[in-house]
Amino acid sequence: GEAEEAAPVFQYAGKAAKRKDRVFVWGFCYSGALGVPSFVKPDVGWKKPRRIQSTPYRLETEEKISSAACGYGFTLLSSKTTDITKVWGMGLNKDSQLGFQRSIRDRTKGYEYVLEPSPIPLPLEKPQQTRVLQVSCGRAHSLILTDSEGVFTMGNNSYGQCGRTVVEDETYSESHLIHQLKEFDSRVVQVVCGQDHSLFRTKKGAVYACGWGADGQTGLGHYNITSVPTKLRGDIAGVNIIQISSYGDCCLAVSDEGDVFGWGNSEYLQLASVTETTQVNVPRHLPFKIGKVKEAACGGTGNIVLTEEGNVFVWGYGILGKGPNLIETAVPEMIPPSLFGCSDFNPDIRVAHIRCGLSQFAALTNRGELFVWGKNLRGCLGTGRMEDQYFPWRVTVPGEVVDVACGVDHMVSMVKSFT
Amino acid sequence: QGVQGSPFAGPKKRAWTGVSLPTTNHAAREGGMRRDLKIGAGHRLDVKASGVFVLGIGDGNKLLTDLYNCHLTKVYTVGGLFGKATDDFSDTGKLVEKTTFDHITREKLERILAVIQGTNHKALLMHSNIDMKTQEAYELAVKGLIRPMGKSPPIITAIRCLQFTLPEFQLEIQCLHETQQYLRKIVHEIGLELKSSAVCTQVRRIRDGVFTLDDALLRTQWNLQSIQNAIWDCQLKVKTEIEKTLGHQDKSHLHKMDAEMAQTADS
Repeated sequence: GEAEEAAPVFQYAGKAAKRKDRVFVWGFCYSGALGVPSFVKPDVGWKKPRRIQSTPYRLETEEKISSAACGYGFTLLSSKTTDITKVWGMGLNKDSQLGFQRSIRDRTKGYEYVLEPSPIPLPLEKPQQTRVLQVSCGRAHSLILTDSEGVFTMGNNSYGQCGRTVVEDETYSESHLIHQLKEFDSRVVQVVCGQDHSLFRTKKGAVYACGWGADGQTGLGHYNITSVPTKLRGDIAGVNIIQISSYGDCCLAVSDEGDVFGWGNSEYLQLASVTETTQVNVPRHLPFKIGKVKEAACGGTGNIVLTEEGNVFVWGYGILGKGPNLIETAVPEMIPPSLFGCSDFNPDIRVAHIRCGLSQFAALTNRGELFVWGKNLRGCLGTGRMEDQYFPWRVTVPGEVVDVACGVDHMVSMVKSFT
Repeated sequence: QGVQGSPFAGPKKRAWTGVSLPTTNHAAREGGMRRDLKIGAGHRLDVKASGVFVLGIGDGNKLLTDLYNCHLTKVYTVGGLFGKATDDFSDTGKLVEKTTFDHITREKLERILAVIQGTNHKALLMHSNIDMKTQEAYELAVKGLIRPMGKSPPIITAIRCLQFTLPEFQLEIQCLHETQQYLRKIVHEIGLELKSSAVCTQVRRIRDGVFTLDDALLRTQWNLQSIQNAIWDCQLKVKTEIEKTLGHQDKSHLHKMDAEMAQTADS
């Protein structure tokens, strides 16, 4: 009526209101890997420390985070900014996997644990031009990929995983040493940390490795350590590799033609489709008949791939995502798309990305939903419950999940707000 | 008055309230003896809503109970209008506030719908009382058959946008244990999530369990013959659904239905 016509109109959002970029963390808190100091050291006297954050918790960051990586008890976050500070780290720092974090109380000492995202200064030649593209974290070392100054490595180098000569009796704690790697056949476009080894993928489609090799995870044809990044051959020689993955001691690579190659540990049937041996030290083609593979991810005992058609396949050992009855398989089994929300009502839902932690899996759909399954070590699944999850389960995140990084007992996600 | 029950489609804008139904010849044939048949109503439709409304008559009331215990979903088309909020969430309520809405896009709306679906999906599994650690739980989850078989709060099992022309929009909502007012509240909350406001302009039930609009009788069809046909046409699918969901329970109602179906087939 007239009263309604005359009523004022409120504006809560303008047409140009932009969606905000956010970071959410969850899992084990005491290592500091979640970056929320009050979880470990409550700011109010009567509050108790929080051991586990079982649902996504918003982490305030200064910059838009474009890459995140979860190591064993620590986290790296990076931004593509041209500002001086491009990488932040939090969590365990006993091996200087977060670089030297100067203590405030004693400026000659470094922190063993970092409780909030702290800048990691990089020895860049052009700090106001060079951008950090991606970060990766292993058991006790980190890799930082830049667009024009190669790869920077930090942390434990007992096995040459940082790509530099192993120094006997080197002390890794409170170390300022950050090493730079530039000797590859072309620009490095992806870096991956396994437990104690490192993989590098170049623009030309080659794969390099260094570090611990006792399970053949360096794929260089031997079981020794390697301290200089060396190009892999075997079944991937001359093949254009477009993606690599590792987190434990097994490695997978995907070619531009959609083929999958694997090497490293096979104690859990990861490579049993081609060999009975439990260690494979040269890349082998895995002859799966599941369609063209787009993306692969390796966990500690289980593997997962995503095909061009949007189907998800799992194999290996552990909680694989098809109920408690499927504990192990050498041959990939498909996870029914209905578990990711695909139905008659919603026929266009597809899994867009898959990720692996040490004993858990994650899948991101084209609608920005995050599904997780596997062992729920210290609440790392983020479901709000403490039970293991035997099939894909939605994690409630207040936003569209753009990417997720999985660790041993924590996860970090990059999210865009809805409006 | 003897009357057979069947699914009715209420007129679009008005709800079905009371109606005087045609008398049958039944009483006359039985030598003037009247038989009182109980008419039971299925899931409610409130005054402002319209759509499929299921009734049971005589022995059909027991089937209504069985169907209730199947906890099947219902589907509604729900109309919404951005730009204002009212005290009862409908377009006929008292104005609370007017807001801008030109920043709203279909894409933004669909993102909100995705969240609603996600949170409700979890609620669905939580209230279904199934041990999530079993292979059975996995099998049911794959088939989309996990749902609460007892009391639960309203749960939306699926929601999507059918039409979007600012300031109007239309949603299709599949749900369980709902009230129509709950659906109006969802429209209101969607408005808030989109940093605006919205009121509900229409709630129309297009499906109740196995009954759809196609099964429903229009006002003009409220006569004995149509009603009898309607009951006959739906018997098989009602029986099938009850068997599928409550299969392990006492099937005495169904046995009786079988006998009736056999009798009528013979005659």
